[in-house]
Amino acid sequence: MSKLQLITRGIIKDNPTFVLILGMCPTLGVTSSAINGMGMGVATMAVLIMSNMVISMIKNIVPDKVRIPVFIVVIASFVTIIEMLMKAYVPSLYASLGVFIPLIVVNCIILGRAEAFASKNGIVDSALDGIGIGLGFTLSLTAIGAVREILGAGSIFGYTFAGDVMPLLFILAPGGFLVLGYLMVLFNKLAKR
Amino acid sequence: MKSTLKNMVLVLFSITAVAALLVALVNNITKETIAQTEQRNKDLAKLEVLPAFEGEAELEEKCREIGDFKVNVTTVKANGELVGYAVEAPSITKNGYGDRIYLMVGFVEQDGKTIVSGVKVISQKETPGLGANMLNPGNSLEQSVLGKSPAELTFAVKKDNGSFDALTGSTISSRAYANAVETAYAGYLWAKGELPSEEDAQSGATTTDTTSWATTTECQNETEPEAQKGEVSNE
Repeated sequence: MSKLQLITRGIIKDNPTFVLILGMCPTLGVTSSAINGMGMGVATMAVLIMSNMVISMIKNIVPDKVRIPVFIVVIASFVTIIEMLMKAYVPSLYASLGVFIPLIVVNCIILGRAEAFASKNGIVDSALDGIGIGLGFTLSLTAIGAVREILGAGSIFGYTFAGDVMPLLFILAPGGFLVLGYLMVLFNKLAKR
Repeated sequence: MKSTLKNMVLVLFSITAVAALLVALVNNITKETIAQTEQRNKDLAKLEVLPAFEGEAELEEKCREIGDFKVNVTTVKANGELVGYAVEAPSITKNGYGDRIYLMVGFVEQDGKTIVSGVKVISQKETPGLGANMLNPGNSLEQSVLGKSPAELTFAVKKDNGSFDALTGSTISSRAYANAVETAYAGYLWAKGELPSEEDAQSGATTTDTTSWATTTECQNETEPEAQKGEVSNE
């Protein structure tokens, strides 16, 4: 598989949200606006790339039976370190992304990629896989967030054009399920062609 | 790699040890910067609810505990002159839809009258698109108090015969907001030593909830209980 394919595969064929259906909890929870979805996606991508690289590095010394706890420790440490660094040196970014950071630890995409890809492939390929899956996740979450924001709040990336006339339902949890379902159908229909 | 008891214990132990060491190291490096940033953000919020002024700000903090809640009153002075009071207060008697609402409310004195100069939501867990609209600048709740004299306000939403214009579809959040403003006002009166006597409260001369204030205690602050002084620059 070529290096470019590693990246595009994460966006289309193995899209984590619409095809693999992983990480549904943060997906439904944070996508009430486009910018929130994007923030969660970017934060997840950063952790995913780094954890993929480290796990690929240590894959040969980790015994099979303890690999899951080892992966979790690596991911949780990365998340904690990133949270502390952001809080200290980019407080403005932390103010908008901070609430999502602890959620990343329980994101199955990261553990899923560690298990399915990074523990079997080299460092460079694992990093590329992290970029691809991370991009796929970011794009999907931004799309869901944008649709919910447009339909529910009449705005996009905070820029309001319709205001109070839109049905609030789409911002609330039921709207999240509706939008996710319809986008999933649409995505798979287009991707299969 | 094949698992044996020896290599499992060894690998798991060394990985967790390295991870713990790294986290501790980063924590050590960033601890101080984080504390500084948080303090500065808090100080900036205090200045944000007060009108702009020239020169260095002098902050003097007073704190009071009501049950489990803390009310922080900061007196802001510039060049020896009083700018106003910034009061951080929770909604004590009324929960929001999600949790208590914490507000930073600025009070200034103008022509012998007290005026609300600004309100900033410090923390809230209300529904996005409904109660969380209290974060938007110029929302109906903010408009209900901004520039008004709190002595003339009734701290309840219009539905309950109060003077607060509730957010659309969020009466519960709006009630909590009104309650937090009331608590802040009580804190302001207390800091000035002008808390109305209980007779006033009973005769209905004031709408401020003095009975709950009477049960307050000094803050069990981890820092020194004396007034804290700090300096921040106003941008």
